[in-house]
Amino acid sequence: MTERVIVIGSGPIRIGQGIEFDYCSVHCVWALREAGFEAIIINNNPETVSTDFDTSDRLYFEPLTMEDVLHIVERERPLGVIVQFGGQTAINLALPLYEAGVRILGSSPDSISLAEDRERFDQVLLELGIPKPPGRTVTSARGAEEVASEIGYPVLVRPSWVLGGRAMEIVYSRDELRSYMTYAVDVSPVAPILIDKYVLGREVEVDVIADGEICVLPGIMEHIERAGVHSGDSMAVFPPQNLSPSVIDQIVRTSTDLAKRMDVRGLMNIQYVVADDVAQVLEVNPRASRTVPYLSKITGIPMIKLATYAILGKSLRDQGYEGGLQPTPPLIAVKSPVFSFTKLKGVDIGLGPEMKSTGETMGIETDYSRALYKAMVASGLDVQTGGALLATIADHDKSESAAIIRAFADLGFTIYATEGTARFLNARGITATPVGKISEPSPNLLDLIRNGQVDVLINTLSTDKQTEREGVQIRRASVEIGIPCLTSLDTARALSMAIASRASGHPFDVRAVSDYLP
Amino acid sequence: MPKNPDIKRVLVIGSGPIIIGQAAEFDYAGTQACQSLREEGVQVVLMNSNPATIMTDLDMADRVYIEPLTVEFAERVIARERPDGLLPTLGGQTGLNLATQLAEQGILERYGVRLLGTTLPSIRMAEDREEFRALMRRIGEPVPDSWIVESEEALRDIANAGIWPLIVRPAYTLGGTGGGIACDQDQLMEIGCGGLSASMRHQVMIERCLLGWKEIEYEVMRDANDTCITVCNMENFDPMGVHTGDSIVVAPSQTLSDKEYQLLRSASLNIIRSLQIEGGCNVQLALDPHSFAYNVIEVNPRVSRSSALASKATGYPIARVAAKIAVGLRLDEIPNAVTGKTLACFEPALDYCVVKIPRWPFDKFVHADRTITTQMKATGEVMAIDRSFEAALMKAVRGLEIGVFGLAGKRTNELSDVRIEAGIATPTDERLFIIAEAFRRGMMVEEVYAFSKIDPWFLRKVQRLVTMETRLRIEAGAIANLVDSPTESDPTAALIREAKALGFSDRQIAANTGIAEKEVRKLRKALGIVPVYKIVDTCAAEFEAKTPYYYSCYETEDESWVSPSEAELAATSAAKGESDER
Repeated sequence: MTERVIVIGSGPIRIGQGIEFDYCSVHCVWALREAGFEAIIINNNPETVSTDFDTSDRLYFEPLTMEDVLHIVERERPLGVIVQFGGQTAINLALPLYEAGVRILGSSPDSISLAEDRERFDQVLLELGIPKPPGRTVTSARGAEEVASEIGYPVLVRPSWVLGGRAMEIVYSRDELRSYMTYAVDVSPVAPILIDKYVLGREVEVDVIADGEICVLPGIMEHIERAGVHSGDSMAVFPPQNLSPSVIDQIVRTSTDLAKRMDVRGLMNIQYVVADDVAQVLEVNPRASRTVPYLSKITGIPMIKLATYAILGKSLRDQGYEGGLQPTPPLIAVKSPVFSFTKLKGVDIGLGPEMKSTGETMGIETDYSRALYKAMVASGLDVQTGGALLATIADHDKSESAAIIRAFADLGFTIYATEGTARFLNARGITATPVGKISEPSPNLLDLIRNGQVDVLINTLSTDKQTEREGVQIRRASVEIGIPCLTSLDTARALSMAIASRASGHPFDVRAVSDYLP
Repeated sequence: MPKNPDIKRVLVIGSGPIIIGQAAEFDYAGTQACQSLREEGVQVVLMNSNPATIMTDLDMADRVYIEPLTVEFAERVIARERPDGLLPTLGGQTGLNLATQLAEQGILERYGVRLLGTTLPSIRMAEDREEFRALMRRIGEPVPDSWIVESEEALRDIANAGIWPLIVRPAYTLGGTGGGIACDQDQLMEIGCGGLSASMRHQVMIERCLLGWKEIEYEVMRDANDTCITVCNMENFDPMGVHTGDSIVVAPSQTLSDKEYQLLRSASLNIIRSLQIEGGCNVQLALDPHSFAYNVIEVNPRVSRSSALASKATGYPIARVAAKIAVGLRLDEIPNAVTGKTLACFEPALDYCVVKIPRWPFDKFVHADRTITTQMKATGEVMAIDRSFEAALMKAVRGLEIGVFGLAGKRTNELSDVRIEAGIATPTDERLFIIAEAFRRGMMVEEVYAFSKIDPWFLRKVQRLVTMETRLRIEAGAIANLVDSPTESDPTAALIREAKALGFSDRQIAANTGIAEKEVRKLRKALGIVPVYKIVDTCAAEFEAKTPYYYSCYETEDESWVSPSEAELAATSAAKGESDER
């Protein structure tokens, strides 16, 4: 007699929950069938492979609400329901289903809520001695100010009920915090706000598979943009390029400890920020994440299959894996986000803690800058090996920007910059032609962009309101004219490296993914 | 004709990253194509830059390349793998554009790669506005007045002609990037210039706008033997002026007379034949609601978002069949996987109603312009199946995950009457909820029609749903009494049954009666009001279906399949389940 398992899909594609969860759901179904179970899928997205009637043993084309799912559970009487592969949509059903008497396979609803309940999670970190940026939950505007002045600005603020970074902001001063509390959110005891110290560092993320005994880390991904840019909007590289062995060791140890303590069965995603050679935990997601398909392919480790078998009770050791970080294949893979800004009028394209990208591409190579080039070209960025660069750099970014802009100048780019930036660059021996701000008479920088005289725009986000208002216009102009606009210096540095790899004249090769793997 | 034996190795190009206008549908199409080709013993070389896809899985194709989708990198893949053929019609506009460039630059010829399926001249004919219009004129299919524009001066000349409104469509773009509707000279210049720069060919088409006409789509298939079928037709809830990707869509069409249905079906078959498409094709048509006049709007000579929807709506796997046609098989040689008895030349029949609603990103982009026009803004979509339009609509709405479980929008009840009228006239993501609110305030179907031009048939359905809200509110007391002593024969029980058949969720019944959702559920079960499951079988139960693909509805007959050995299990665990219910 075949036992049945229900897999909850991820619903419609939206920003923050894309095609990757269809990949995860489908692979879970395939693994279940391979393991001799009857796999049943529930989903309502007609674009997907999971709703292909060939994929599962039974497909229910139904809304992913508690009522609709429960009807199917009652009819099918499955061994249990798997919720960790359908993104936040599925994981949100864990607790209500459990409360209705349905067995959740994989990490338990309690383990899921441990990851999602801020207070309980902080307690776990404390208990295990795992560092995290200081911060607290507040229920009033005054409480927010107190906590912020205690931990020190800048702080990262967000409503506790929000997922995927909505309404999340980095706040640099008390005035900004006041305005955020007044305009951006309604704070109250039932709608608390999270305030955390914003740690300027490198963001790193891992997806781990655990079975209650051991914890397998297929790989570590390093974000190219510094902390503060949403992980879905960051470029990322595998294997990490800038982490010390000590940090890697901390990450492996912390991830393993967390998986064990939280009794993870299946997948979990953990995000870290690394500063001063210390890896601090930012957040955990008790489910398969966006990066699982990408990591599965470049490591050759069938992550969803391992996780599904682990959920069904087959240990990872029995599946041929030992705990810890797995051997790194001889390749470098860069993931690049893709935006749909041309389609959305009035949307500011500046990157921040709120996710804005709709998709992603990957570039695989054996050399980092060439992988960057492939990923950027694949993402639709018009990567020119020469031309003109326009730089408008916020004051707090100026000193760091010099080396990056110099790299563009060395590649033969003509540099245009706003008055202040130009003066700053010239003083450092970088020839930059000053152009007027938007508020100044024509021809100003907006005209320069619209006339097609700019090939790359670097516009870092300012905390000054007037400058920022102009920044929005400049960035939109770049979208309309179709030139790359980089709002993070890290992306700009990556682009200069990519251009240099192209300009070297060394031709690019292609290889099937399997040819990279040992 | 059996499969062409010369084709041993085929390159399939995917659609690249997910962007607005190109979502998961091409992963579905590409994955089906890989499976379908490998079934025929063909080796598949796959190229896509999107690592999140299933099609780029290492065991989905024989060779997987995650490389940029540019001519440079595609040429290297071809040089390395030396495929015999290239299947260009499964990777959306991105894949098609790349294949076209590879052909035009002589790369395919240099490496001896054949373009499979629809030929390049056919693709060009369908994609190039002018050639397409000339063809339509030759075969007697009407097209709207239009002009091809390649400069700003030409835009000004058209503005001087004084025909408004006009629709601007850039050539060779995705999801209508850079398009829009212009009602005066300023708008025309703005949208037109944007379109020129968005177009791969610096070309836009300006067209008389058929605002208020019905928008209908047909998914049609054709093989090399000139056998053609319609897989299904679909009707847009929103009339002309809204991108079909941003429109609520219903399948099959609901407001067409048989004469209208046949008129448009014949036109679609006429078009796919004249284009000599070998594979799937999507035909978009506009129909004047007041006469039998229609216009052909556009044709997509490839697998599309609409074909994915049509596949799921009917159970007919368009991409899978298109891949087989591309390697030489005919429709009458390809078995239908759902029934296992019929062939792919069998037109599907539907005994249910399908509704698709787009999922927009305005919850993330609160400052974005929420107006819906000819430029697509949705990132995804949900589909729902039920026995009636009403129930399918309600299922789709609650599937959107926008915090709405019925037709009561988030803050629509706070809008002034003036804003309501404006909200009905201007399409936005909230229009459906605003229309429902208008009915709640007593507006007539005729008034809503006058503002929206949405077919009164659809409007009456929405009105019927609003009426049910009212009836539930009026009967709240009776329902509360029923909670205390459930009686199946009570007329109030019939009301609940009716609400469920109309697609009302327990949560929505709860919201309208003030009874807790859990209580509604308990009451319902006590009254025996539970869903049954029906099968999507492509043939309206004419044959026994093999593939189990289900949807729920509140009727009596259950078509769901449970094997005998499992029926036993069900009985034992049913007892356990009841005790778990608490």
